[in-house]
Amino acid sequence: MKTKRTILTRVLPLAALATAIAVSGVHAADTAKAADTGDKPAFAPLPDAKEVKQARADLGRYLFFDTRLSGDTATSCSTCHDPAKGWSDGQQLSNGYTSISYFRNAPSLFNAAFRNFYMWDGRLDGSDQGAVVRDMLTEAHTMNMDSRLAQERLKQVPEYAAMFETAFGGDPYGGKIYGAIGEYIKTIRTENAPFDKFLKGDKKALGADAKRGMDLFAGKAGCISCHNGATLSDGKRHALGVPDNPELATNAERQISMLRHFSTMGTPNYMNLRTDVGAYVVSKDKADIGKFATPSLWDVGQTAPYMHSGVFASLAAVVDFYDAGGGDGPNKSGLLKPLGLSKKEKADLVAFLTSLTGDAPKEKAPELPAYKLRELGKN
Amino acid sequence: MKRFSRYLLGTTAAVLMMAPLAASAAEYPPLATLPPVPVPADNQMSDAKVELGKKLFWDGRLSGNGTMGCVACHEPDLGWGTGGPISFGYPGTQHWRNSQTVLNSAYYYLMFWEGSATSLEGQAPAAAGGAVAGNGDGSMMEMKLRFVPEYVKAFKEVFGTEWPHVAQAWQAIAAFERTIVTDATKVPFDRYLAGDAAALGDAAKRGMELYNGKAGCISCHNGALASDQRFYNTGVPNAKEFTEDELYQITQRWELYQKGMPEADYRNGGVDYGLFHKTKRPDDKGKFRTPSLRELKWTAPFMHNGSLETLADVVDFYDRGGGEGNKVLKLLGLTAEEKADLVAFLESLSMDEPLLMEEPKLPETATWAEFPK
Repeated sequence: MKTKRTILTRVLPLAALATAIAVSGVHAADTAKAADTGDKPAFAPLPDAKEVKQARADLGRYLFFDTRLSGDTATSCSTCHDPAKGWSDGQQLSNGYTSISYFRNAPSLFNAAFRNFYMWDGRLDGSDQGAVVRDMLTEAHTMNMDSRLAQERLKQVPEYAAMFETAFGGDPYGGKIYGAIGEYIKTIRTENAPFDKFLKGDKKALGADAKRGMDLFAGKAGCISCHNGATLSDGKRHALGVPDNPELATNAERQISMLRHFSTMGTPNYMNLRTDVGAYVVSKDKADIGKFATPSLWDVGQTAPYMHSGVFASLAAVVDFYDAGGGDGPNKSGLLKPLGLSKKEKADLVAFLTSLTGDAPKEKAPELPAYKLRELGKN
Repeated sequence: MKRFSRYLLGTTAAVLMMAPLAASAAEYPPLATLPPVPVPADNQMSDAKVELGKKLFWDGRLSGNGTMGCVACHEPDLGWGTGGPISFGYPGTQHWRNSQTVLNSAYYYLMFWEGSATSLEGQAPAAAGGAVAGNGDGSMMEMKLRFVPEYVKAFKEVFGTEWPHVAQAWQAIAAFERTIVTDATKVPFDRYLAGDAAALGDAAKRGMELYNGKAGCISCHNGALASDQRFYNTGVPNAKEFTEDELYQITQRWELYQKGMPEADYRNGGVDYGLFHKTKRPDDKGKFRTPSLRELKWTAPFMHNGSLETLADVVDFYDRGGGEGNKVLKLLGLTAEEKADLVAFLESLSMDEPLLMEEPKLPETATWAEFPK
């Protein structure tokens, strides 16, 4: 796969240097020093590309764009994770399956293989891409696919049968389908983000405003306390008081998909919940009400709108939100306080956030192989 | 004709008087007017439940994509089926068998062509949730119902729970389906049994004798339902679609796979094994449940794959001794006139007019602001 080769040649030679660069590349001296001792959060360049089984990723690429993996063949993974829209859908709230209106923002897939959790409420483990693919394909609110039917559809495509044979050995099968797409997801990475170049030694990669923004990010604005490390995420869940999307109060279809999600997670008293309670549905611990997973900030310039509810249309709006000390809500993180940023400081922060953004993905939907008649008894 | 009706009611004396037919017909429960519909103890009927079930029968909320409610494949003006040979399927899929009429389904104790559900309450979720039929998710369908204030009220009234539960929806639909039955006063044959000798013409009367005698139909199509509800392989040919259309092949293999068929059968495919899917007994390959012969006039085409278009085709099929490889049927040697007589009798088992029904007005979805306080 072309994209993948580019990544390997770029990243692998640098792998050994990554740690050293992570420290030396940081402009904010205090933060860099802290990183040495492990006491304080720090910046680090993008992690090395994960080892990818190429034949599986190649297969997964086709499957990612194939609508035959949804129950009514109307949607593919790429419907809500469109490379042309920053591997998301550009909408505040995702559409979801036919006749459903989903209740959260579709997260981008940039660097998705490096997450601690999947899903905004962190209900799936980040170490297993196959599991999140399975969830998306089979869940009623996303692709509503019977995995056995998915398997039989793919078997009806000789090219797919051959690719599965090469990639896994044997017939298409649910677990292999999920695994192949999961492998492909590992190849979706931030490419040529100025800040990544900067961390790897290219001091000219950031302009003066972005450098000031970086210092604010790591200092006065305190962003780094949650958005740190190689993924620019602490891999934890926090309550910030981000407002629910206004549609949640007025659109019954959104309400249906949310309460139904709560019900399937076994959430206590789910019929009476009126806000998106986030991680509470996973732990059932009231201390987790309103907590959502910290997203990575790499490529954040391509993934608007922001937050689990998609309520902020621009990075400036996000910065304003934090400047105000976040929103209101239960279990709100003590890390959020009014920041008192000047207009110029806010603009600098946005300039820094923009520098986390790499190239627009070049990925295009491949031409998909068609169903063919089976020779009975032959396959 | 009094004599004959007594015979049909099963009195021994009458049977003995029907000399030519008695030898074969007496072995089987005679055709009769349908009794009141059996109602399970755990799903009693009420007007409110039936009214709710009628709405739910029409409601696309009980499917995956919002448009594939029960009625999608069981349309009243198409004989409560699809009117076509093999039912269409969920979008992106193709079904693999003929959509059976809902009419009188309340009298079966096994649903589907291979008897894979044991009640109407069990059939409804299997269809609404099946990937090539309704493809609905139980929890999603349930939540959609809970956002319909009129349903919340109706479910509470009928079932006594604060919120609708999806299993109750299947119960209400089953109750509704128990009202979709033949009205005997509209059926020539039933009127004949009730003493109206003129209700059947001469052809139909001759056809009845053939049915009970020379043609041997009664050996499987017996009792009030005109079905023994057992399984036979009559050798109905496979639908050619399974060798000509990818979507049919996909569905068939999906059925083979999900039903746990032996590897060799799964690999070969192309044949609908019927009851074998359920039992895995090789002797059951190609067996399908005897369908009722009531309301045939309104429920063409016929057979599990709808491959026979008219009743004349069906009679021809049996006259030939059924299809290849079957061990249950024999050549009948019927004349053209006898065949026509049989068709006349078969038609007399249907109501004079089809059972039609107005589409109900479906209630609106509302936000949680409208939840009961």
